[in-house]
Amino acid sequence: MANHALAAVKSALRERKLDRTLTTALAPLERMDPSALVPMDVAPLDACLRGGLPRGQLSELVGARSSGRMTLLLQMVAAATARGEIVALVDTLDRLDVASAAAAGVDLSRLLWIRGQEHPIDRALDRALKALNLVLQGGGFGVVAIDLADVPLAAIRQIPFNTWMRVQRVIEGSDTACVLLASEPLARSAGGLTVTLAGRATWVGTSDRSHRLSGIDVRARVVSPRKRIDGEAAVGAITTEATDRDLPIARHGR
Amino acid sequence: MFGAIYAAEGSSPEAVLAVAQEFSPRVDSVSDPREIVLDLSGLTRLFGDARTIAEELRRTAADRGVQIRVAIAGTRIAARLMVRHRAGLSIIEPGTEAAALAPLPIALLGEIVNDVNSQLVLKRWGLRTLGDLAALPPDDLAARLGQAVRWQRLARGEDATPLVPSVREERFEQSLDLEWPIDELEPLAFVLGRLLEPLEAHLERRGRGAAVLHVHLFLVKAAGETREVHERSLQLPTPIRDARTLRTLALLDLESHPPAGPIDRVVVAVDPTPARIVQFSLITRPLPSPEQLSTLMARLQALMGETRCGAPALVDAWTPGAFEMTPFAPRDGNVREPAASPVSLALRRFRHPVPARVRVADGKPAGVTIDRRGVNGGGVKVCAGPWRTSGHWWRKHERDGWDRDEWDVTLTDGATYRLFRARDTEQWFVDGVLD
Repeated sequence: MANHALAAVKSALRERKLDRTLTTALAPLERMDPSALVPMDVAPLDACLRGGLPRGQLSELVGARSSGRMTLLLQMVAAATARGEIVALVDTLDRLDVASAAAAGVDLSRLLWIRGQEHPIDRALDRALKALNLVLQGGGFGVVAIDLADVPLAAIRQIPFNTWMRVQRVIEGSDTACVLLASEPLARSAGGLTVTLAGRATWVGTSDRSHRLSGIDVRARVVSPRKRIDGEAAVGAITTEATDRDLPIARHGR
Repeated sequence: MFGAIYAAEGSSPEAVLAVAQEFSPRVDSVSDPREIVLDLSGLTRLFGDARTIAEELRRTAADRGVQIRVAIAGTRIAARLMVRHRAGLSIIEPGTEAAALAPLPIALLGEIVNDVNSQLVLKRWGLRTLGDLAALPPDDLAARLGQAVRWQRLARGEDATPLVPSVREERFEQSLDLEWPIDELEPLAFVLGRLLEPLEAHLERRGRGAAVLHVHLFLVKAAGETREVHERSLQLPTPIRDARTLRTLALLDLESHPPAGPIDRVVVAVDPTPARIVQFSLITRPLPSPEQLSTLMARLQALMGETRCGAPALVDAWTPGAFEMTPFAPRDGNVREPAASPVSLALRRFRHPVPARVRVADGKPAGVTIDRRGVNGGGVKVCAGPWRTSGHWWRKHERDGWDRDEWDVTLTDGATYRLFRARDTEQWFVDGVLD
């Protein structure tokens, strides 16, 4: 009897197309199929993620400033463009450094860069979300990322929560992995992952002239919807490649 | 089977051409505007024998007030020579061209082939008819006159080149006069849809796509004013003929550049170009179609601004943060393995460097105060620098030049910034966050 009632409810929800938003009728989380994942191309993190971020889901890269969020995003974008996919970055506050993207190995011709404007912040956020929606509806992108990392939390908290449900609804079943870059967890979908990052700058050299930033040690903690692939990974030192900045100028020369 | 039409003096060349095009799509307008050659292959099944076709041609021309001579032969040159020689209808049975042309005066060939010198020589040799020329031994003729061998082949009724049909310049244009003026985009969308659908069918029939879409909106004329036309031209990234895509692109463009008043006539035209041929791959993921990408880019540009969407590109310059925006047009390319290079630390760059107040101790930054919401300052835990860069000093008055000392600093909150001090103003700025 109970089964009949459950079946009737499920059928009614299915008729109204509510079965995939209000219930847990998600596909089983089989993380064996590599084509359903977008690797970050950082071995320890990919191992922790069991292959990468899932396609058709909204995932998050969150952390404080200098925690390696942008570095890991560009690494993932570089790997996606190398596979022949196209990638879109909705850059809410226009923060992308093109030289950093090129240094990370991003094929820039395959990156659709949508640049917002910093002022006024409310309008920038509104336009960025609309642009995200347009890109996701357009389809065909392997990765679509939105950068909300520097948007004040007060502005972010004004975003209606159903915004992220709508985003999830658009990408569900598609080959697109939607990635949210933020300072704190906002909106991952039921099948998406949250990668929380913490970074610590590492320096080398003892004398004034040899002292320089060598990179950032990143620790990543993965939170999955069903606690099936939670874990932590040390991404290791992220090295700067500023070969043109070998030595600082002599102090007395200033 | 070929036919040649030779119109009476004073006839309109357009009228003669129209008659010919009614009978065959393969029509060649030769240098003489009164003469037209047409390919009649296959017409016997429609009209009957060659004589019936010739009569039908003549009757159609007469209906349009054009007097013509018609000659039909197995080769074009035979028909052309005959139509110039004889009035009325002339039929040369295939295979008998040489015999039929033999009695014709050699001067006819001179009218068609413009070679005065050879013509004078042949006249001096006493040759009077095409038959005389055709009967000469070809080797001896070639030894003496070279090019005249070609004349000889023509005199025998042999074509030297295949027919190259003249292609009529086709206009891909649709227009509509509106009974009531419209002044909003929504009703205009329906009008554009109605105009673009037949245009799409026309382009499809011809195997063409649109390279440029022109929209002309004729605005309602007030009394005593000249009529104003709002013209927009959209350069399409790839040949497109999908009516819905073209309509969306036109509407998005008109949203950003609306007409100044109500519209009472709409004209849509496209510059045609050969259509795209797409080879899909089973190996790589398919890219969105150019139609999808064009529509997406138009929507994004309408939302964010025309210069704010595209593919970034590095420029060959030392200017910090220099880049340029290029159109986003990804191509199917070879898939390569991601390079196993060390992860490179990225900079989150403030497009306009943020002014900061920096406390300096012992020649190094010791504390940073930033007056912008969301960007924290604090004491400096570790720093390295300075790295001095400068450039474009000769364009300083254009604010392009820079001369600065850069520092990497980690603040007490753990964030690592790139700061710089402008050496001319001694002012400090935050260039970005290493993230």
